[in-house]
Amino acid sequence: MKAPWYERNTRLLEATRTELTAQYPDLRVVIEHGTVHIRGSFPVMDGAEVMDRFLIEIKFPFDYPESIPVLREVGGRIPWHEDRHVIPGNGEACPIVPEEWLIRPDHDSVLAFLNGPVRNFFLGQILVESGQPWPFGERSHGLPGLIEAYGEILGTFDEHALRRYLDCLSKEALKGHWECPCGSTKRLRDCHLNEVKSLRERILPRVAQQALNRLDELSARQRKNTTHPTSRRIE
Amino acid sequence: MDTNEYLQSVLSGQSLGDDSAELKELQTQRAVVEKLIRENFGAVPIIRYGGSKAKGTIIKEYYDLDIVCYLPSNSDAAGTTLQEIYENVRNCLNKGYIVEEKTSALRLKGNAADNYMRDFHIDVVPGRFIDEDKSDCFIHQNGADKCRLKTNLDVHISHVKDCGVVDAIRLLKLWKTRKGIRVKQFVFELLIIDLIDGKKAKPLSEQLMHVWEEISASSDPIHVEDPANPSGNDLADVMKSAWPALKSEATNTLNTIKWSGWEAVFGTVSASKSATVAEKAQRASAFVNTPNKPWCPRG
Repeated sequence: MKAPWYERNTRLLEATRTELTAQYPDLRVVIEHGTVHIRGSFPVMDGAEVMDRFLIEIKFPFDYPESIPVLREVGGRIPWHEDRHVIPGNGEACPIVPEEWLIRPDHDSVLAFLNGPVRNFFLGQILVESGQPWPFGERSHGLPGLIEAYGEILGTFDEHALRRYLDCLSKEALKGHWECPCGSTKRLRDCHLNEVKSLRERILPRVAQQALNRLDELSARQRKNTTHPTSRRIE
Repeated sequence: MDTNEYLQSVLSGQSLGDDSAELKELQTQRAVVEKLIRENFGAVPIIRYGGSKAKGTIIKEYYDLDIVCYLPSNSDAAGTTLQEIYENVRNCLNKGYIVEEKTSALRLKGNAADNYMRDFHIDVVPGRFIDEDKSDCFIHQNGADKCRLKTNLDVHISHVKDCGVVDAIRLLKLWKTRKGIRVKQFVFELLIIDLIDGKKAKPLSEQLMHVWEEISASSDPIHVEDPANPSGNDLADVMKSAWPALKSEATNTLNTIKWSGWEAVFGTVSASKSATVAEKAQRASAFVNTPNKPWCPRG
């Protein structure tokens, strides 16, 4: 059985602790039942001043940093509601589409996660609490939001084309004779080969495969909800 | 500003005035709770404030309200056994809230779409007085080894309220909250009171340092006793499970103060009150280098 990430990569765990101590002294790393958590009070900074605080828990997945950490606000301040970008069934916050995070070069830095998506999420919550909109906009819920995010990365908002691109990017090697994922029916080498190569520099095959799996999962859920509208429930 | 003036400023920033939005909401919810209880059990239950509101240890960063709902010893208006009382009060509160069952308390959370699972920071503690004195009381213990526990709200309140170290308790509660240390607040308060006993005349900074030094130096959990039930309420397990985190964070905090000063522990005290938090958030958003949009897989 594969060891958890913090045993395989003790340096990353140490770097995580060091980064936290330096910038977020109120957050602490706790290893509990084989899982790494960060717990404590997250300060939302305005320059050098703390403008607000949220009690948080961040759970690191078994395969971190290949999957995104899971953020929860545990002070009970934010309602569990899709419009607050918190999953009603389990209280998990959704500060960003996971693959948007995983393609960032600094996705293995907990500090980058806290200073980026986590801070942005809480800035948004402060504004929404006061009746204002999300500061940088928000993704649509469910599958449409996923298509928006992947579309911005891949340059097309057509779900079929997105799937073809992701399928192509999920392969370990490219073949010029493959059909171009853009839908032109031309060979890849005669069409968007350079663009696909450029995308591969940013998007690892496993991340593309993960995005494809997520699309499949949400498509299946959407089909199920359309077929059995009465079976929809808060999970 | 010297250290003690600074600590007093931190405390001032943590005060919740009677006209604060947070307290007003708690009072609104208390009225809802009382209405639900009265509708179901009539005028018999005695409903009172407990917890930090009654003890004077409330802080803005993590405030809560304990509401006790005790039945007279001869009343079966809410059930004949303690478990029945606990369950019947839970069922009655379920009409207005999502109720999370804790060992003895019922935690109230929002059940409407716009406040679903929002924590109102209200614990309702059902129980029954032991006799007509209406002093000692039995409460049900859900899922615990002992299914009932003797307690006394007045003893608990006066033990903390009159201990003479409420400021230290409030600051250490803030410290515990920010560090995310999971230890029952009442047990933590008992520990602080015991440790500072004999140092009440010392400045606040010395009291806090003493608490952290004692925790840091003790490899075994320090024993505390429930003043309302010294022999019947064993708090050893509560302290044991929290001790590693308390000890580690106490040691870190002493080092932080040594190398970086008190502001590294409790933060800077803001002199400017000109902008609201939302205005500050709006302004801070304009300077974000890498914006991103939140999403939700459901919906």
